[in-house]
Amino acid sequence: MSNEAKSKWKNVVDFPANVRKSIFRNPLPSSDRGRAATSFSNFFLHIQPVRVSRQALRPTYTMGLGLISFFLFVILTVTGVLLMFYYVPSTTQAYDRMLDLRSSVAFGVILRNMHRWSAHAMVATVFLHMCRVFFTGSYKPPREFNWMIGVALFLLTLLSSFTGYLLPWDQLAFWAITVGTSIAGYAPLVGKTVKFILLGDATVGQEALLRFYVLHVVVLPLALTLLVAVHFWRIRKDGGLAKPEEVETEPPVEVVVEPEPALAMATRGAHAEPGRRFSLQGIVRGTFVKVDKLNPDTVFSWPNLLIAELFVLLLTIAGVMAVSFFFNAPLEQPVNVMHPPNPAKAPWYFLGLQEQVSYSAFWGGIGVPGIELLLLVLLPYFDRGKAGVGRWFARQRLLANSLFLICVVVNVILIVIGTFFRGANWQFVSPF
Amino acid sequence: MGAAPRTVEGHEHRSGEEQIPRRRFLAWLSGVGLVGSALAGVFSTFVFMKPRATYGQPNRFRIGRPEEFPPGARIAIDPKRVCIVREGNKVAAISTTCTHLGCIVAPSATGFQCPCHGSQFDVDGNVTGGPAPKALSWFQVTLTPSGELEVDKDNEIQTGTYLSV
Repeated sequence: MSNEAKSKWKNVVDFPANVRKSIFRNPLPSSDRGRAATSFSNFFLHIQPVRVSRQALRPTYTMGLGLISFFLFVILTVTGVLLMFYYVPSTTQAYDRMLDLRSSVAFGVILRNMHRWSAHAMVATVFLHMCRVFFTGSYKPPREFNWMIGVALFLLTLLSSFTGYLLPWDQLAFWAITVGTSIAGYAPLVGKTVKFILLGDATVGQEALLRFYVLHVVVLPLALTLLVAVHFWRIRKDGGLAKPEEVETEPPVEVVVEPEPALAMATRGAHAEPGRRFSLQGIVRGTFVKVDKLNPDTVFSWPNLLIAELFVLLLTIAGVMAVSFFFNAPLEQPVNVMHPPNPAKAPWYFLGLQEQVSYSAFWGGIGVPGIELLLLVLLPYFDRGKAGVGRWFARQRLLANSLFLICVVVNVILIVIGTFFRGANWQFVSPF
Repeated sequence: MGAAPRTVEGHEHRSGEEQIPRRRFLAWLSGVGLVGSALAGVFSTFVFMKPRATYGQPNRFRIGRPEEFPPGARIAIDPKRVCIVREGNKVAAISTTCTHLGCIVAPSATGFQCPCHGSQFDVDGNVTGGPAPKALSWFQVTLTPSGELEVDKDNEIQTGTYLSV
């Protein structure tokens, strides 16, 4: 065999290995350098830091709430796209399509259940995630802008859930949206116009169904995706999850930037000589990227962080599937514009709002929620002290935490009253 | 020899002084143009989103002949969201859309009752209880040449204004 033929044959023999190498630039890491290279040479992993603080991995610190919210969003996207193949946003067909999901679509029931329960769960976990961030003081500088994005994400989550609520076109959907959009109509000056634009008509009908559908399947998910990306990116740029200030002040570490380009290091990672050498990957605000001397409080993301994330993902999927297996998503009678159910209730997360609205339409529906929202957004720009950051219920933050806890408890009580203690004509009833 | 470069320097210096404010002005103008275009785009989107014609039911509709509503009748026409009231020879149309959050109120012994948040109204639609902020609207009723009653929901009239038939 000539040399040329030999090299051709070698190409054939090496074909599988070459394909693998072209996809995964880095072999499974066996050294610290390989572990580092794996994190930043893979598109899906490079959103992770190379090293992550032990604190960020402690389940009792984050409870994985942000991750669970994200994974629920992923589940919602997948199940939502699948449901779109069978759904028609028409007042004459939508309800029938819901029945078809039950009777003639393979896995239709479980998909709809998963979508419904994930949506409810996501509202809850996003809110709990916000509570976690507050009670650990993680919204303080330099993370104040990310807190604002978080608040926007919470609102988008509520809007996504609310717009999806109308789509089955049953009594529950119709009257919840009728009540919900009327609350928007109470906003001063622009309220009536906003309501009209949202519904595309004076009342909830075909126009509203089409508009809510477009918002639900295109506009809001795109906005959510964009903001989630910025949210994650900011976590990295703001120095990872908030942690307590280090007690000892080490002298600034001399940063040595190696001339070797990052990509070359990534591809040659497997043959690198032992020992720890790192290229400077970026400047992180707040804490120093330690070169040469590794921070003992951090561990490599591969595999520590990835295993944690995988665990949370599997747990989330298992939880959603288990609930969807045992409980069916509600579907009431088809819309009857003439007969509002008594009482007509908004989705549970808006029942606190509806309870407030029953006392005063303007203050309950617009005034108080508006003030609460404004305080949430402005909070990190006025509460800037560094004390107690990165710890649950730090003593130094007793006042802030107590005030926030009171707000949370009041809102939860209002939701519980609206959900369980209100009967016909919104009269107080006992559920027991 | 020394004079020529000085002249050039001076010229450059002078032109630099002139150019920077002009450049700054143009940059400012471009910025205003871009931000303005973006705002105009957002505004246009909302104009687009606000329908000029709706596909729902019309706000002016006929409800039948006066004989169909005997004296003393209070007949709610839920699809049209009005209640036709006749007292003697006087006819009126009262809105059955709750002024609170848009639920349909139902006629009751004392007037109207909202099933959603418990607002109560008297027989003329005035608020007697619950969270409703204002009275139920009265709509203009006219008699068409063909002898039918016509309700115009775009035309709100004073509470207590009847049409004599």
